[in-house]
Amino acid sequence: MLTTLLLLPLIGALIVAVLPAGWTAGRIRQVTGSFALLSFLWSIYLLTQFDLSNGGFQFTEYLAWAEPIGLSYSLGVDGLSLPLLVLSALLTWIAVYTTGKNVERPRLYYALFLLVNSGVAGALMANNLLLFVLFYELELIPFYLLIGIWGGQKRGYASTKFLLYTAVSGLLVLAAFLGMTFLSESNTFDYNTITTEGLNLRTQLILLSFLLVGFGIKIPLVPLHTWMPDAYVEASPATAILLGGILAKLGTYGLVRFGLQLFSDTWNLVAPGLAVIGTVSVIYGALSAIAQKDIKRMVAYSSIGHMGYILVAAAAGTDLSVLGSVAQMISHGLILALLFFLVGIVEQKAGTRDLNVLNGLMNPIRGLPLTSALLIAAGMASAGIPGLVGFAAEFIVFQGSFATFPIPTLICIIASGLTAVYFVILLNRTCFGKLDNERAYYPTVNWGERTPALILAGIIFFLGLQPNWLVRWIQPTTDQLVAHLTPVQTEQVAVVSQPKAEGRGQMAEGRLNIPPLTGKSKKPGFSPN
Amino acid sequence: MLQFFSQTIWLIPCYALIGAIFAIPWSPGLIRRTGPRPSGYINILMTFVALVHSIFALVEVRQTGTQFFSFNWLDAASLQINFEMIASPVTVGALILIAGLNFLAQIYAVGYLEMDWGWARFYSLMALFEAGMCALVLCNSLFFSYVILEILTLGTYLLIGFWFNQSLVVTGARDAFLTKRVGDLILLMGVVALLPLAKTWNFQELAIWANTVELDPRLATLLTLALIAGPLAKCAQFPLHLWLDEAMEGPMPATILRNTVVVSTGAWVLIRLEPVIALSSFTINTALWIGGVTAVGASLIAIAQIDIKRILSYSTSAFMGLIFITVGIGEPQIAFSLLLTYAVAMALIIMSLGGIILNNISQDVTQYGALWSRRPVSALCFLVGVGSLVALPPLGDFWGLAELSNTLNGPFLGILLLVNGAIAFSMARVWGLMFTGDPTPMTQRSPEGLWALVLPMTGLAGIALHLPLILSQLNLLPEFPLLTETPVLLLTASTLIGGSAGLVIYWNRNRKGAVTLGSQALQDFFAYDFYTAKLYKLTIVFAVDIISQIIYWIDRFIVDGVVNLVGLITVFSGQTIRYNTSGQTQFYVLSIILGIALLGITLCYPFFDQLNFVLN
Repeated sequence: MLTTLLLLPLIGALIVAVLPAGWTAGRIRQVTGSFALLSFLWSIYLLTQFDLSNGGFQFTEYLAWAEPIGLSYSLGVDGLSLPLLVLSALLTWIAVYTTGKNVERPRLYYALFLLVNSGVAGALMANNLLLFVLFYELELIPFYLLIGIWGGQKRGYASTKFLLYTAVSGLLVLAAFLGMTFLSESNTFDYNTITTEGLNLRTQLILLSFLLVGFGIKIPLVPLHTWMPDAYVEASPATAILLGGILAKLGTYGLVRFGLQLFSDTWNLVAPGLAVIGTVSVIYGALSAIAQKDIKRMVAYSSIGHMGYILVAAAAGTDLSVLGSVAQMISHGLILALLFFLVGIVEQKAGTRDLNVLNGLMNPIRGLPLTSALLIAAGMASAGIPGLVGFAAEFIVFQGSFATFPIPTLICIIASGLTAVYFVILLNRTCFGKLDNERAYYPTVNWGERTPALILAGIIFFLGLQPNWLVRWIQPTTDQLVAHLTPVQTEQVAVVSQPKAEGRGQMAEGRLNIPPLTGKSKKPGFSPN
Repeated sequence: MLQFFSQTIWLIPCYALIGAIFAIPWSPGLIRRTGPRPSGYINILMTFVALVHSIFALVEVRQTGTQFFSFNWLDAASLQINFEMIASPVTVGALILIAGLNFLAQIYAVGYLEMDWGWARFYSLMALFEAGMCALVLCNSLFFSYVILEILTLGTYLLIGFWFNQSLVVTGARDAFLTKRVGDLILLMGVVALLPLAKTWNFQELAIWANTVELDPRLATLLTLALIAGPLAKCAQFPLHLWLDEAMEGPMPATILRNTVVVSTGAWVLIRLEPVIALSSFTINTALWIGGVTAVGASLIAIAQIDIKRILSYSTSAFMGLIFITVGIGEPQIAFSLLLTYAVAMALIIMSLGGIILNNISQDVTQYGALWSRRPVSALCFLVGVGSLVALPPLGDFWGLAELSNTLNGPFLGILLLVNGAIAFSMARVWGLMFTGDPTPMTQRSPEGLWALVLPMTGLAGIALHLPLILSQLNLLPEFPLLTETPVLLLTASTLIGGSAGLVIYWNRNRKGAVTLGSQALQDFFAYDFYTAKLYKLTIVFAVDIISQIIYWIDRFIVDGVVNLVGLITVFSGQTIRYNTSGQTQFYVLSIILGIALLGITLCYPFFDQLNFVLN
């Protein structure tokens, strides 16, 4: 079952790499797209087969690989990894169709896309620490090449920075994993044999901080984030979708999987600190985004802010907040992908990303009306307007974290107001306003270019209106995770609420007996009869 | 069968949504053959269906009594959120008002936006508003009230930004969105904080909870203050009132809806929250005084405006201030009745003046004159609207205001009289400047508008005139003896004094040096809206801007700077060290020995203590 998700893109990558030289980029894209679509459909099939009553790993596969070093080919998915798996398959497919038909060196380019997909799938499905690290590191090579070869002007700088940062991240994670395994005297790296319970507190904290810094780079958290705006901006839109939508999710996934799950005893000690870092990230990302003049960079900084919510929610460690943090990963992946996609179209058609130059794209004849409309939807989804998936996830985060960290949560809510500020700046400058006659008459956006955006927007709307479909697969696992967690010491903010004794009885009588909306009326008024 | 319309009441918001979705194909570029008009007709039809449905539902609900519905929306871990609905005579009555006004406004738009290309967008957004407001009225949960208010905030942004080519429209849309969003987010804080305490968002259960709970006073105050922030922004109360003024850049048919029922959504939520807000007397007083200050301030500002739409927007803020007072003193019934009568009156005024603005181009009252002979129908409708807006027996608002005056005392009675008089004065001023006097270049030709403008206007005038009868049918009119109480007489007198003062000053004024009242500075103070816009620019906007610049500077030059510095040092030292590879064996041996020595020292470091011992 799961091996298919690993092999399908891998085989696809090999095939795409050796396609005949005479094939056009468009045809190669078709081939790549069909492999990506196949693995997406397969992941959907897994969703339907997933047993919702079981929070543990399912579809497990085991093959002893290199037993002496404790490495085994052990796969399995649970409610934490399966939704991310589907997201990554979907976004790979979207990213393939984001690329224009005239990309240079198409065989290498598309093969790398499928490699990315395969690698991410491997990391998400791995049930063995070493296997995870293997895929986690493997990921860097295709991304380095994608940024370094097909990137923008400063691609050399951006790709090297990305490589160095994430390589450090991988080393820290590996060090932590080795420490965990050796110190707990386990003879394999399989998830189910690793436990940190026997370790003393100081060792646990040291190992956990290695993990936090390692994954913190990947997420990225302030102040480890500076590789990220450069990488996102210099990468092509398709690569940016993969970077922001999928790769960053490996960081948050690792945080929950290895931080929260494996260190369930020490998590509550670092949680307050993490909540502060998360809150700082949220504010920092939002404020930096306000100062941007380049729309792609603005979206990149917005991403830092939105990742902060995930951290706050994961730190809070209530059943609702952890659920919210995973939901926010999905929602952020979808929204960010749509934003990068649309920014890519704007850049391609209008020839610039500069806020001071762009204007009036809503113009129905000479502008990009549908793109602008979708950009408004994406921006509003990111700003957390209800009815779109961003709100559903953020609200679960807020409500869940409030019980543990009331003040950071309230600050996060304020920050979501700042999110609205920069998206309004973005929309007002690009979509609204008067179209510049000098620059008007943009090339039309054809339906092939619109479709991926429409699909993403459709999903964003659907999950926003029916959030049950968002939390359905996640919940069994997060419930189980939280059940093992030592609760975080709450900073009690005078939550003094004691219903009087006589009040309780009244409450129990149910709501139908209460005359609605009559208030303190003195006269018959709108009486029911 | 008797239950059919009330059982399916949840369909009413859906009608409008269906209309909105069906309008999309007529966006520019999709269906070209028919032009954009069919989108409008579809939406008008759907609104009409909603109107008919709600009228039948009202008949049923009045017989069967209040009904409750509930749909599951989210079932996540410990949190279960249901979309709870309530169909009571009041809520269904509000549905009729919303659907009815939207129906008229949409017909009005057929005339007003005759030459516009954006029909599909406009009608979709109007339908979104109708759906949102109907859902808000029906919904019985604080959470969904917040959700709908926030969606309407987005709707306001898009609807004000309808003519997005103009820079003032763009800034107006931005300010409206951000101002309302501030209120919404503070409300969200309250919503999030309320759940762990009350364990419910259902309005009825909240009321019971609020009656029985004993909260820490400070917490209660903070919580309730957060809860009134949303209504505050929606109702355009000080200090979040600026957006309504700028929102006037949007098209007039949208204004009909916005200045009547959309601003009332805030008041509606406030009324439903009143039992919770009553937990803190500080918050109640805050609401009362914000309402009072807004009512007085905005009604005075309205007098100092020369832009017709601004006069209307500040009058709206002023009236919403009165509603805040009404809710603050705990009289939801009066507030409901006032919201109904006010909505009809204000819609009528906007329709009558909107038609004039449309074909006389100008929004400046000083450019008008002598319209009475040219536009008698609009003039009569305007008069009916003004009569219904102020406390003038026996028209609409009189009854509600009369009851309100009887329950108020002390400063708030004074405020009510002052505000009522000031509104009467400013409306009389508009009348004097626009309809009397000599013709001006702008009013040489001013024919009555298209049927699509006149028909809804005259229809609404008829409704406004019959409103007292409707109220008496609904048993909403106060007892007769109440009308002879002193406050009611004072109220009527304030209308007459304010109105006649306005008429004396502005009737037949021959063009037209501005009337000065007090010093120029004082007049400017009112004319420029207490300089609120400037104040915001100098404080909040400036602060956010400068802080974000600083953070970004730190990000680029300090956080990223350190990283780049490390990179630079690495590269630089690598470049320098390479000159050491001279090729001489001695040099390599030296470096090897140095390395071994260093390693040895490091390894032996723990034993240095003992070395000391040995030496001794």
